[in-house]
Amino acid sequence: MKLLRRTAAAFLIAVFIAALFAGVLVPVPYAKQFRDSPNAMPSRIHLLGTDELGRDLFSRLLYGSRISLLLAPAASLLATIIAALVGGVAGYAGGWLERIALGGTDLAMSLPWLFLLLAARAVLPLNLSPAASLLITFALLGFFGWAASARVICAGARGLRDSDFVLQAKACGCSSRRVLLQQVLPNLRPALFAQFLISIPVFILTEANLGILGLGVSEPLPSWGGLLRGLENWSAVQANPARLAPLLLLLVVVSCFQLVLRQEDFAP
Amino acid sequence: MTRTTSLLSLCLSADYPDRPNVLRTLALEMYSGEILGLIGQSGSGKSTLALAILRLLHLHKGNQRGEIWFQGRNLMGVSEREMRSVRGRELGLVLQSPLSALNPALRIGTQLEEAWRAHVKGSDDAARKAILETLLSVSLPAERSFLRRYSSQLSVGQAQRVIIAMAILHRPSLLIADEPTSALDTITQSEILRLFAQLSRELRMGILYISHDLLSVAALCHRIAILHAGQILECAPPAQIFGAPQHVYTQKLVAALPRGALLDSDGDKVSSVVASHEVEESVKPSVESSIPDQIPSIVR
Repeated sequence: MKLLRRTAAAFLIAVFIAALFAGVLVPVPYAKQFRDSPNAMPSRIHLLGTDELGRDLFSRLLYGSRISLLLAPAASLLATIIAALVGGVAGYAGGWLERIALGGTDLAMSLPWLFLLLAARAVLPLNLSPAASLLITFALLGFFGWAASARVICAGARGLRDSDFVLQAKACGCSSRRVLLQQVLPNLRPALFAQFLISIPVFILTEANLGILGLGVSEPLPSWGGLLRGLENWSAVQANPARLAPLLLLLVVVSCFQLVLRQEDFAP
Repeated sequence: MTRTTSLLSLCLSADYPDRPNVLRTLALEMYSGEILGLIGQSGSGKSTLALAILRLLHLHKGNQRGEIWFQGRNLMGVSEREMRSVRGRELGLVLQSPLSALNPALRIGTQLEEAWRAHVKGSDDAARKAILETLLSVSLPAERSFLRRYSSQLSVGQAQRVIIAMAILHRPSLLIADEPTSALDTITQSEILRLFAQLSRELRMGILYISHDLLSVAALCHRIAILHAGQILECAPPAQIFGAPQHVYTQKLVAALPRGALLDSDGDKVSSVVASHEVEESVKPSVESSIPDQIPSIVR
């Protein structure tokens, strides 16, 4: 089991590094169209072949990994910060503030988030620049993904609120704000870190969902979701099975995340 | 000990939502520099009183009424902001379980610094100097390496000393110790008792020493108050509590002490020894005290 976890961790690190250095590893820009060789088979020039527009699939996969693997943690960070604010304050303060905050998280969790994301994307103009679509997609993920984490953080903060050391700190004359920031928050750090890591694969998958529907990062920027859209063309996949590479990579990366993350590691 | 200046004079009632009348117009008076032992069985309202004096009972969802006259003002009448400047600076609290009273995620130094910064805005050097001095006064190593430790790296006795250091950092005039030794083994217990006697002597600090153990506080305290069902039944010097208890409950309490403990090695009643007790000499560091048969050596 230990070996498996290590292998998974090593694989994730390798993918991250490959994605980071995509510019060095692939000589071809992800948007360059080789007009005379669309739907090409894998070759020495195009490792995974090309798509119907003649764009190099390997290059698109690596650049797509960069976007998905860097922005999913960013979205996760945003969601965790919101969760820490809402859950931490609610759990620590207790009373009506906690009831309102928990009601809010219940509401947020019961919302059909996929439709909400669709609606939010639909409100935005269609001719959004690729960079803007990228930022908006992941900001939306962050803003909609905090509720479950907030509940966990809230429960943790509630337990700390009644602890002896909070009582001792108050008996020493520390203000509520300082007790929250200096005494409670350091104890929530392991839980926050766990929530941050657990959210990353969730956001990778959510982005893929949106991408398949064409509402994620817009062309010509590649992302895993956008690349999965290429699988709609089944005859092209049959002709070139290497086109399944994005799906395979997504599956393996998300599985590796699940292997590496173990709940007991985050126990404070 | 001069009994002229009153340090604390209170009359309190307290309730919890599920338990009414935990304190029933409890009246208590303490003098400057006095060590008052508050004895009561569990559920008698000891800890409730400790929190109520600091006006922190709301943290346990409790509700308190009455008056707390402390150094010339009624604490029940002051604002929360003013109360916060009293907590830790003029009123110190030591809790029962030292390991849970220390924050597991913070270094000892950070926690002491937090307690210091709650009342003093000053340089890091001033804070460190005050902290190291206080560590020395509770017989802890005044070293950087010690301040970098976490509570899990301390023994229970050390942890309790750190809590005491936190509580006396600002030299409060009243220290409330809520069963500070009940989580400790007998040797550590006698060391901590000795520390309290020493602090009271050196800092002229009043100590409200809360315990369920009549014997362990007999030698330390100038007076002992017996708390039962939210009221003080009797408050008298140890000699009278042991020698001529007035209230029926106190008589039962004294009678319930182990027989051996009441007899000196000569067969005299402990009360005669206690009558001439001196706090300065009272709590001797005695290794024998770990042997149950010789509990009276603490009393001596």
